[in-house]
Amino acid sequence: MSVRCRVPEQLYRRVREDLARSHEFAAERVGFLSARLGNRVGDESLVLFSGYHAVPDDQYIDDPRSGARINATAIREAMQRVLDTGDGLFHVHHHAHAGRPGFGWMDRRETPRIVSSLQVAGPDQAHGMVLLSNDFCIAHIWLPRAQKPVVAQRVTVVGYPLQFFDAEGE
Amino acid sequence: MTNDRFSRQSFLGEGAQEIIENSIIGICGHGGGGSHIVQQLAHVGFQHYRIYDGDIAEDSNLNRLVGATVDDCRRETRKTTIAERTIKDLQPDAKVKVFPCRWQDQPEPLRGCDLIFGCVDGFAERRELEACARRYLLPLVDIGMDVHCVENEPPRMAGQVILSVPGEPCMFCLGFLNEQVLAREGERYGDAGSRPQVVWPNGVLASTAVGIAVDLLTDWTRELRSVVYLEYDGNRNTIKPHVRLQYLPTSPCPHYPANQVGDPAFRTSMAAG
Repeated sequence: MSVRCRVPEQLYRRVREDLARSHEFAAERVGFLSARLGNRVGDESLVLFSGYHAVPDDQYIDDPRSGARINATAIREAMQRVLDTGDGLFHVHHHAHAGRPGFGWMDRRETPRIVSSLQVAGPDQAHGMVLLSNDFCIAHIWLPRAQKPVVAQRVTVVGYPLQFFDAEGE
Repeated sequence: MTNDRFSRQSFLGEGAQEIIENSIIGICGHGGGGSHIVQQLAHVGFQHYRIYDGDIAEDSNLNRLVGATVDDCRRETRKTTIAERTIKDLQPDAKVKVFPCRWQDQPEPLRGCDLIFGCVDGFAERRELEACARRYLLPLVDIGMDVHCVENEPPRMAGQVILSVPGEPCMFCLGFLNEQVLAREGERYGDAGSRPQVVWPNGVLASTAVGIAVDLLTDWTRELRSVVYLEYDGNRNTIKPHVRLQYLPTSPCPHYPANQVGDPAFRTSMAAG
């Protein structure tokens, strides 16, 4: 089973612009990408990103131990969005360096909890987490009803030119 | 591929050959245009192909079907088999998946491609292919040509190359597709007769399309930053940006909204308890 992600360039730019905004106290911003599945049947699934939802300033919690921490309202609104739209949601944030980024220990501990909540609201959708660096993008995907994530084999930014971000070893 | 086979195209940039070799290319239609494209892609070094065509080689194809032989017609060889042979002769290790059917009959592998070449007949099929490409966020390079015969005038040979990228103007936005041409085509359905086709305009259009695709993948020109709509005039031997590009709508494409992606789904609301 391989999973590939695609994001339109305009949307990709919008995400980057939003995440680059400073916050009163949070060291970084987070957001959510809406996604739909393609090729649901078969061994080449596609995750197709279709929208972006910034987390409002007042839904951040001041926590010096984390880069960004969001409150229950932000999670609840994300779950409601899944219920309302039937879309999957991907938590997205940015690490300010060049090259392939890696999820930190806090990302690995906390984000799956958010994904679990999203899976409750939309068990038949793919959810997950996306991480940007200054020039790269990776994604971990929980396919419908999956307990564990798979790494996106390729993330494609669809625009002029096409940008490809391949998983390590690809 | 680590020999100097591609040294003459190293100007495409560091990493370009790796991008080319890792990209999955879909080709819908292995006729006059598609066969040129397949041959060129193999020369450039592409390694992953998914090729659709339900037809077999016939004598009437030999005036333009690159790679087809008299023997192929005698043996009723599938066009997809000819495509695979053309590629393998140049790239023996290439992964070639062939589908001797309409792409609509087995669309899943096509959706998994990184880029599609549309070498299909008619407006309706172009509409279907672009709708698929938009829904699965795939760039589509469309080529086509036709010869129009009007009484007492020399035949007019015309064609187009269009690069359709999700989020950007589509073939409807460009005015290439519209309800009138689709309706006219529908009225002629079953009465098409044999459509004039020759090898040289297909070569021009296919070469241009491959150039656009390589640029889209490698960004070697650093100039391809917007929609491509080129018109070919086979009588004057010119290819140039279509005049309609000057009048592109500034609003987002209304024909394929951003949220209309992925497998179509239908949900019912849960009954209140």
